[in-house]
Amino acid sequence: MENQTLVKEICPTTTQQWVKNGALLVDVREKAAVEQLAYDVPNIINIPLSEFEERFHEIPKDKKVVMVCKGGSSSLRAAGFLVNHGYSNVVNMQHGLDRWVQKGFPTKGDITLVSGEGSCCSSSGCC
Amino acid sequence: MTEIKVLGPGCPKCKTTYSNVLEALKKSGIEANVEKVEDIEEMMKYNVLTTPVLMIDEQIKIKGRVAQVSEIVELLKR
Repeated sequence: MENQTLVKEICPTTTQQWVKNGALLVDVREKAAVEQLAYDVPNIINIPLSEFEERFHEIPKDKKVVMVCKGGSSSLRAAGFLVNHGYSNVVNMQHGLDRWVQKGFPTKGDITLVSGEGSCCSSSGCC
Repeated sequence: MTEIKVLGPGCPKCKTTYSNVLEALKKSGIEANVEKVEDIEEMMKYNVLTTPVLMIDEQIKIKGRVAQVSEIVELLKR
């Protein structure tokens, strides 16, 4: 994945544990993509990257937050943006929805839209 | 000398922006240092959300779309 030190990154499996412990997921994909296929978790909000600068204040600073997208890169930039704006409980989910689907984690919508590429390490038990 | 940076992960739009910058410099005759920034950590320092980003002298001028040659020329003349 991306080589950087600003934002902590976790894999989809760890994200599942964070979700169980009440973390909030923030999906930065555009609305049309979310309508086609969405993460099916209890606490999630959608703030598209195109609206992020205007709406990032909607994200609570006192909660654990996992940034998500389709492949993990856009959400990483958004997570970096939040860290630069004083958020300390923010992590990025590596590999995004593509890996989430490969792992069989819950979604709403059409999973055939997700490509099967990048499944090199799906048998590792984690990411 | 003018410093130009094109920030982006190496996507086709980023490559087009970079080549448009070179074309704009050729057309305008302006000399500048041009740098392609693909490092995610470097991009995050500038709070970049949507790419590509065109920066001139450390100021973000255009973000989230390809900068056209004519508008780069205009930006360089200012």
